[in-house]
Amino acid sequence: MKKRIITAKDSSFWEKLNELVEYRELLWVLAWRTFKVKYAQTLLGFAWGIINPVFTLIVLSFVFGVVAKVDTSGIPHPLYTLAGLCGWTFFASLSADAGKSVLSAQNMVKKIYFPRMILPLSNILNSLVDFIIVLGCLFILMIFYQYTPSINLIWFPFFVFWVIIAGVASGIWVVALTIRFRDFHHVMPLVMRLGMYVTPIAYPASSVPDKFKLLFYLNPLAGIVEGIRWSILGTDIFPSYIWISLGVLSFMFISGWAFFNKVERIIADII
Amino acid sequence: MEEIVIDVSVLSKKYKVGKRVVGDLRSTLKDVFKNKQLNDSQDSSSEFWALKDITFQVKRGEVMGIVGANGSGKSTLLKILSRITPPTSGRIGIEGRVASLLEVGTGFHPELTGRENVFLNGSLLGMKKLEIKEKFDEIVDFSGVERFVDTPVKHYSSGMYVRLAFAVAAHLEPEILIVDEVLAVGDTAFQNKCLGKMREVANGGRTVIFVSHNSAALESLCNRGILLERGKLLKIGSIKNILTEYLSRISSGTRLSVSERKDRTGKGKLKFTEAFITDENNQRIKILSSGQKVKIVLMYKSEENSFENIVVKIEFKDQLGRYMFICVNEVSQGMFKMIPGNGLFVCTIPKLILNDGIYYLDLIVKGNGKNQDTVRNAMEIKVIPGHFYPTGILPKNRGVLTEYSWDFESH
Repeated sequence: MKKRIITAKDSSFWEKLNELVEYRELLWVLAWRTFKVKYAQTLLGFAWGIINPVFTLIVLSFVFGVVAKVDTSGIPHPLYTLAGLCGWTFFASLSADAGKSVLSAQNMVKKIYFPRMILPLSNILNSLVDFIIVLGCLFILMIFYQYTPSINLIWFPFFVFWVIIAGVASGIWVVALTIRFRDFHHVMPLVMRLGMYVTPIAYPASSVPDKFKLLFYLNPLAGIVEGIRWSILGTDIFPSYIWISLGVLSFMFISGWAFFNKVERIIADII
Repeated sequence: MEEIVIDVSVLSKKYKVGKRVVGDLRSTLKDVFKNKQLNDSQDSSSEFWALKDITFQVKRGEVMGIVGANGSGKSTLLKILSRITPPTSGRIGIEGRVASLLEVGTGFHPELTGRENVFLNGSLLGMKKLEIKEKFDEIVDFSGVERFVDTPVKHYSSGMYVRLAFAVAAHLEPEILIVDEVLAVGDTAFQNKCLGKMREVANGGRTVIFVSHNSAALESLCNRGILLERGKLLKIGSIKNILTEYLSRISSGTRLSVSERKDRTGKGKLKFTEAFITDENNQRIKILSSGQKVKIVLMYKSEENSFENIVVKIEFKDQLGRYMFICVNEVSQGMFKMIPGNGLFVCTIPKLILNDGIYYLDLIVKGNGKNQDTVRNAMEIKVIPGHFYPTGILPKNRGVLTEYSWDFESH
């Protein structure tokens, strides 16, 4: 028989991880619920998953491709931008939905115990769908431009792994901050809008002046977005600064996890 | 079979009253600019022990009832047992799979169909997917919403919603079940069905912790009980003894006269000194009858010559602490602008709407927005059946009375 001890002390990291595995079915059910509610019930369904990135693509291509005429080393600008956009879309939707997931789960949190970490994780399915939709668009665009993917594609899974880590890290942070500061979700759109421009989505990182480069790569998404584009389109160089991005990201992930664990226990008392 | 499955020892839970734990960015930034520490521990706030040094044990197969007035800490205890909130100190050891049912239909999403919500709610309550699949037909059958399982629950009537939600919960098969007042939903027939199901669970040898205001349900389901009062465990024993003790505690306060009561709260600049009830001829009465015209007289005194902006309130409760109705001058005619330092308040009720039974009155007076004096269960009143309706007959033991008439017409 399983024995459980409840005290004022927090359970250890391994106990928590173990519990998360134990609750994997709930995670799946909640992820599926989020997905179902978002897509299956709206009239346009999946169309929203396409309209959003396509709209962003048109705006970015116009500003950076037509007006600013950014140098993309011969790659058609829409293609270049969309390859940058796919990683960003995944990250952005995970971050944006995380805050909502806590606020909408307030009642659940007060009435039922489950590892709270499930809340930020339950959006992954949704964001993955968004990600795949954009990848699909990218695929179609590549056929249209008759662009063959490069051999770098073997690196693609590596970057996808890191973009998932980035999304989850950001999701955890947003959830923890939303628990602590209820109005944090007002700040998120601003952060995301800023993030979109300081990330090399529609322009190459190489066009950033050298003196800003270090600062630029402190944005963990910079390296990942460049990396994804490099792996799909084979743009000139491997983004060597990416190690800075990955380091920052790992720090974000671990610190986010720690912060989350701190607020998690008292969530039912304060939310 | 004397194995202990729940072992609670010196459990306490403290809440900080008035301290802002969850902030918003604005006030936090404001504090930063004022150079205040964010987690200011020396706040002017006071501490509040929702539970203090609770120790008890539950053996396998026992059905334990938790009894106590509102605010006695019942819900906090359940929340700690369910791990929703951590204790401040103390320790609980639980053996076996726990399912807690603090609310029916947790996690139900209006956009999803009945079928989908069964799976969602089931998983939240800790059921495995396979388990839900196996019991799905049984659950739907119990709820009686077969025809609508594939309809989004937003189109359900509230009765259907509750029935489906309870049906899921009723098919949980944990070793330990923790149930809050969930039976107070649905119609009587459904409540009986739920009680029957609960009895089945209890008789099935599972351990159950049960909170309810329904003493009949408690008595028929539980074998042992604990009595909580203001966060402290007063008594543990057979459910019969616990319920008797609980009911006598409610009424014990009323044996003292209002001026002798020490357990009052408020600033105390204005205090109730005596309370009594008279009939329309101003004769004091002890026993009231339904439909009678009565006056409740509250005498008070204060240290000052006059008092301003007075709100005076009488709350009528039944034996289980449920509010029947409230008489407060603030809503009937507005607060009293100015009253003399010593005097009496009179509340006139032209037609008493209480059915027969025992009732308790809380007396509250506020001056200038601050609570001056609150005396809970200050008076116990006995109401006997009276001429409320022209027939002289009253509906049996249910709710309060109201004036109405019936008609019929041909169509």
